[in-house]
Amino acid sequence: MVHVSISAEPLFTIGPVTVTNGLLGAILASLLLASAAIYITRRARLVPTRLQTIVELPFEWIFGIVKTQGGQTWRTQLPIIASIFIVILTANWMSLLPGVGTIGYYTTEHGERVLVPFVRAAAADLNFTLGLALLSFVVFVSFGIRTQGWLGYAKEVLTPEPRWLSPLMGPIELISSISRIISLSMRLFGNVFAGEVLLGVLLVIGPIFVFVVMGLELLFGAIQALVFALLSMTYVVLATMQHGEGHEGPAPVGESEAPIAPQDVPSGG
Amino acid sequence: MNLTPLAAGLAIGLGAIGPGIGLGIATSKAMEAIGRNPESYGTLFVPFVLGIALAEAVSIYALVVALILIFVA
Repeated sequence: MVHVSISAEPLFTIGPVTVTNGLLGAILASLLLASAAIYITRRARLVPTRLQTIVELPFEWIFGIVKTQGGQTWRTQLPIIASIFIVILTANWMSLLPGVGTIGYYTTEHGERVLVPFVRAAAADLNFTLGLALLSFVVFVSFGIRTQGWLGYAKEVLTPEPRWLSPLMGPIELISSISRIISLSMRLFGNVFAGEVLLGVLLVIGPIFVFVVMGLELLFGAIQALVFALLSMTYVVLATMQHGEGHEGPAPVGESEAPIAPQDVPSGG
Repeated sequence: MNLTPLAAGLAIGLGAIGPGIGLGIATSKAMEAIGRNPESYGTLFVPFVLGIALAEAVSIYALVVALILIFVA
């Protein structure tokens, strides 16, 4: 029987802070990222070494996407969007390492002997994803306020086009803005948590299948990181779009530039 | 008789039908578009990923409902 805990289990407390195994996973991911950043930037070369190429790869990928799809404010968006992407990618891939979710201590819960792992996949803890979603919310609202002003952004949210429908559409727009927090956090949490449970169940049914599903989990981890970052970017683009530029598309490409000739269309993701 | 597992199974099972159909349609249309015009891959990629993420979100909501039924209710 597989023991599944929907919330992260507390390990110990430091003063008022309870350290759960999900928090420990997030801290480990951050430490890995920070040390990798320090190590790589100390040795950065114009002609990159092998390690530098590997680290630069995801960054170049997200850079290309934000540059082509990020609207006029892509330059200011890039640090936060790329950070969200790389943090989630690291956390998701770290959760596939051996020992994460499997090494722990036994405890008794409701008369059952259950394993409490020391490290849990960070995104399988709703606190982590909710924190990221709140960050994304704050970012797109502040971008909207910065480009359109307090009044302009409030007007945009409360009285969307067409104006005569705004008593109906205003509340809907407001609720849809706020519900982005829930959908962003639940999407990432649901995917990673379901992946963890699936791996646990497969380990009981037939360990040979775990290899296949782990390969898929690598893919899903990257896709969910990309989706979170892209949705955050799209919300920023929607918030910074001025009135009259049209509301039909989520991602205006090269608004201020001349029409793009077919051979200049950026190829590759 | 404990019907909670049945309810959870129905929640995710029925909830996955719609997103499954939607993902299939979205992917087939995207493949068609790329097949007709391979150069459109770069411009299609981001809207496609966003679309399938939004479609998939619905099944994730169903999953959350199933999880709540099992663990919370």
